[in-house]
Amino acid sequence: MTAAVTTNHGLRTTNSVVCLLRSEYLVLLLSTIYFLAFAPFTPGFATPDNFANILATLLPLFMVAVGQTVVLITGGIDLSVTSIIALTSVTGAAAMSNDHGWLAGSPFAVPVGILLMLLVGALVGLLNGVAITRFRMPPFIVTLTAMMFFSGLAVWLTKSKNIGNLPAAFNALGGKTSLAFLVVAALAAAAHLMLSRSLWGRWLYAVGHNPRASLISGVPVSGVVVSAYVISGLLAAVAAVLYTGQAESGSPVLAQRLLLDIVGATVLGGTSLFGGKGKILWTLFGVLFLKLIDNSLNLLDLSYFSIMMVKGAVILFAALMDALKNKVFLGK
Amino acid sequence: MGHLVGHWSLAIGHFLCLSLLLIGCGKPAAPNGSATGSSDKPLTIGLSFETLQTGFWVASLDAFQAELDRRNMKMIQAIADGDANRQIEQVKNFITRKVDGIVLVPKDAKACIPIIKAANAANIPIVLFNRPPDQSDAQSAAVVADNFALTKETVAYMMGEAKKTGKKHKAMVLIGDLGDINAIGRRDGFDAAAKEAPEVIEVVARVPTEWNQEKAQAGVVNALQANPDISFIFTSSDFLFPSIVSALKSAGKYKKIGEPGHVILGGFDGDATAYQMLADGYLDATGVQDVYFEVEACVKAILDLRAGKPVDQTIKDPGFVIHQGNLKEKAPRMWGAKVRR
Repeated sequence: MTAAVTTNHGLRTTNSVVCLLRSEYLVLLLSTIYFLAFAPFTPGFATPDNFANILATLLPLFMVAVGQTVVLITGGIDLSVTSIIALTSVTGAAAMSNDHGWLAGSPFAVPVGILLMLLVGALVGLLNGVAITRFRMPPFIVTLTAMMFFSGLAVWLTKSKNIGNLPAAFNALGGKTSLAFLVVAALAAAAHLMLSRSLWGRWLYAVGHNPRASLISGVPVSGVVVSAYVISGLLAAVAAVLYTGQAESGSPVLAQRLLLDIVGATVLGGTSLFGGKGKILWTLFGVLFLKLIDNSLNLLDLSYFSIMMVKGAVILFAALMDALKNKVFLGK
Repeated sequence: MGHLVGHWSLAIGHFLCLSLLLIGCGKPAAPNGSATGSSDKPLTIGLSFETLQTGFWVASLDAFQAELDRRNMKMIQAIADGDANRQIEQVKNFITRKVDGIVLVPKDAKACIPIIKAANAANIPIVLFNRPPDQSDAQSAAVVADNFALTKETVAYMMGEAKKTGKKHKAMVLIGDLGDINAIGRRDGFDAAAKEAPEVIEVVARVPTEWNQEKAQAGVVNALQANPDISFIFTSSDFLFPSIVSALKSAGKYKKIGEPGHVILGGFDGDATAYQMLADGYLDATGVQDVYFEVEACVKAILDLRAGKPVDQTIKDPGFVIHQGNLKEKAPRMWGAKVRR
């Protein structure tokens, strides 16, 4: 009798752990617990000013991570996003700068500059997608070499110099959190609807689950993969608009060290590195958790190296959980 | 659809709870020391460094810690790892913590302007260490080495040594990241000195390093292959010496001063490697940034700004050239010699 009760209790506990691990709100729950645990002894952590600071830094990272989510769902990865951010940053700045910009003083400088940034981002994404689908090259190699090439191009174009004196209207896009919030919220909602409500979204998951079966079922696999990389490039360019506006200057090394945060936050949210699984909402939770860790450890005056170690460990743990979940629940 | 709405409602609800917690718990952190510095609490200074990649920055951070300890002040630090946007976030964290002053080593002269504006808006004095900002309406002071003059003086000493050999030397110069105004000052200082005595050196190689060891090594190896008779090398930072020494050793050209085939070597910074090379007789001269002067000047500028006293917008560290002739006399002030001990 006692043994049976113990067994039932054990089963219930195991089921609860399994339910928690499978819950799509696990990372949000962890964020809340983390916040509650750290707020009492982290100076300035639980203040409106700090909340605004977290939000301002979360928005561009979330934007580029949304693009990464779309690519990861197809079973690919986009390592070139940091170079897209740098290249689009200097392209837009070179067009808009009041110093020697091509459009200096023009009333169309800001809209044309932003359009140019989006165009460059989409074009790099298109090149990545075409190289992956046409030449059947591994996404890892294509986007890694693209990162090297376009990072180098950004430095070469600018001779490693930053471009400043940008129009105030442009700087406001990154500098004013409320404006950035509206842009990011609208784009994230659109991405969410496209993933969850459109045929294209279903194709995307299908390609990530099994590209061969999707092809046989009539899914335009190449087109879907190319579109995912174009979206990733476009959203990286949007992130570049926000980052460049925040720094009030275009930089050829902008976001150079951000790749771990982008991929890490996406995986942390629960998007699978193996493809076929991921949601915009999860990525938001992942970005939030990573930013809370970053911000709190910084406020606790931990050394840079300690912060890197903690973040690396958390992301590694998330990737491990992803692998375990796939093994236990999906038998992959 | 209902399922979808339910999920989003749950998520938004969770978010609202988190937001309420963030705002509700929101008692502002107690300020560390009053604006006048008359409180019993020690003043807190936030140090935001762009990087700790080289010994110079590590030695500077240590020097700040020692100087602030000496003055019974508290230091908090943040390292941006070369990311200008991360640096903006970190300085805003300092502002959130209501520090009494900020010392900034900016990623670059332009991206630091919104950081200075944020500190100005919070009425927190901000002093830039070793790198000045671009011109703007943002209010700050900067303590910087006189890169141009010190480099010119160092290269002039090297050219004096070159002149003694009675032959014209082929020269190589390693240039730093041209996004860094210090690198530009050192490049211009080298060019100005070289222009004054074209009969002594002819510059045959200019190696762009972007402050990167690997790029420097590849550039030096290539330049030595293209011009094997290079006999005069100046590097814009001492931290690139390991790359130069490695390339010279491979080419069989790493010789002590006075030995046949010695390549006249000079640098800038005054790090531990440079001190060792000077002591071992391989390095002719290096321009030393007086870290201790710069650190003291930074802290003093913050205290003066807090007290409402006038502070120069740019405070120049004259530095000094250290060479074989004055090594014993100048070594105690060379930060690289202290770090080595």
